[in-house]
Amino acid sequence: MSGRVWLYGFVALTAAYLVLPIMAVVPAAFSAQSFIKLPPEAWSLRWWTAFAADASWRRTLVTSLQVAALTTVVAAVAGTAAALGIDRCGPRLKLLFGALFLGPVVTPVIVIAVALYAMARAAGLVGTLTALVLAHTMLALPYVVLNVGVSLGGLDRRLLQAAAGLGAGPWRIFRTVTLPLIAPGVIGGAVFAFVTSFDEVVLSIFLSGPTVKTLPVRIWEEIRVEYTPLVAVAATIMLTLALLAALVSRLMTRRAAA
Amino acid sequence: MSGAGGTGKGAAAALMAPALVVVAVVFLAPLVRLFAMSFEAKAGPLAAYLEVLGDPIYRHVFVNTFVVSATVTAVAIAIAYPTAFALTRIGPAWRTLLFACVLFPLWISVLVRTFSWMLLLERNGPINRVLVGSGLIDQPLSLLFNRTGVLIGMVQVLLPYAVLPIYAAVLRIDPALIRASEGLGASRLRTFLSVLLPLSMRGVATAATFVFLLALGFFITPALLGGPASMTLSMLIDSLVNERLDWPLAAAASMVLMVAALIVVGLAGRFVSVRAIAEAHR
Repeated sequence: MSGRVWLYGFVALTAAYLVLPIMAVVPAAFSAQSFIKLPPEAWSLRWWTAFAADASWRRTLVTSLQVAALTTVVAAVAGTAAALGIDRCGPRLKLLFGALFLGPVVTPVIVIAVALYAMARAAGLVGTLTALVLAHTMLALPYVVLNVGVSLGGLDRRLLQAAAGLGAGPWRIFRTVTLPLIAPGVIGGAVFAFVTSFDEVVLSIFLSGPTVKTLPVRIWEEIRVEYTPLVAVAATIMLTLALLAALVSRLMTRRAAA
Repeated sequence: MSGAGGTGKGAAAALMAPALVVVAVVFLAPLVRLFAMSFEAKAGPLAAYLEVLGDPIYRHVFVNTFVVSATVTAVAIAIAYPTAFALTRIGPAWRTLLFACVLFPLWISVLVRTFSWMLLLERNGPINRVLVGSGLIDQPLSLLFNRTGVLIGMVQVLLPYAVLPIYAAVLRIDPALIRASEGLGASRLRTFLSVLLPLSMRGVATAATFVFLLALGFFITPALLGGPASMTLSMLIDSLVNERLDWPLAAAASMVLMVAALIVVGLAGRFVSVRAIAEAHR
């Protein structure tokens, strides 16, 4: 019996270690002081007002949302198409393309960042939206391909044959049969793509410029030197958006399972 | 016709084309270019590699990276195993809650999580205040800008990647085997050592591979929580590019890191599926 108590105690501690530290930035964002002390001695919204009033912080948030939105669209469309293409390949090609799309997942991200920086610098693309969107799309693609691939695996092929037998063309079959059935996978992949892009730091540090800079890059720059509760506000915004995305994804999988 | 309807190979190629172009242009081409750059040192084609592998300062960085990655892996597995085991044993309501605690951090940016640790581990941060206030220690511990901070932060960030594969492995074990072992009079420890552990070894191997692989290339957490003495390979690559502007050296160091990662994947590939690794990743 005491073994059980130990196990439960251990698990509770692990859960606390996993979750509680993440929340530490939230109280820091509601501090009334001009420096971060946890927990704050007095509470206020002054740093939220300061964030809203600061054009440069606002711009990084807008840039982040722009990059994440564009990445989501490009990755969802290209990734879904790729998953459909892989689905049509024989087993050997399936393995090959699967491995190719997994490349960015197993390569250390700093290596990709430095390589991309060298290339983007030569092409004059450092500090552009294009470079950030392309880089984020490359990172997000594997998740879309995997997610849609799983959905395609569970697809009842007889429905497609029925549609074809009734005279529907490939595009019509895709639009009216395949897409609605794999929609949870596509949306799940799109949500991953959004979060991947919105949270991405390492590639963005190398590819951002003074005018095109994402929110995480600004946070990174600030906390390496000297930070105020303003950074905690920015981090809390990131946290909130990630939570919303997790919630959307959870609702989608629920619906898919139902 | 093996797929979801359609007209054969041409259609498959056309569908994959956009994604393949992105991977080719943004992933493969830059890596090939970086590989070429690693041989472009002024002192000769192999000079960058000789410097990266021969210089004692750089060797210290390699050793530190390896020690940090191995320690993080060992600690993460030691925490993950009982957690994964408990997940298979507790009631459904608690399991859902614990699962949420394991999966939730994966949604939160590593940068945000690391920033949180900076606030918590500070000299005057809450952890030190509690420890000093409770009389456990007299002086605040230095938990930040050294290896301790890096380990605390990295284990927390990588722990979910260790729990998930082990949980999947433990779940696959037939409970009848455990009952049989206990019914035959084996102690709990004996059951664990001769039934559970061997049967869940694949999961442990997958978890260890994945955590070690991610730890090798980790940048944000060691860069923010570590100090100059605890420099890792990814921090070195960053400083070679951004401070010393030595591209051939940075490229050579990158290739060494990539080869190390490929060796880990290659060795692990004998007994774990790389695909399983990627699938555990979200």
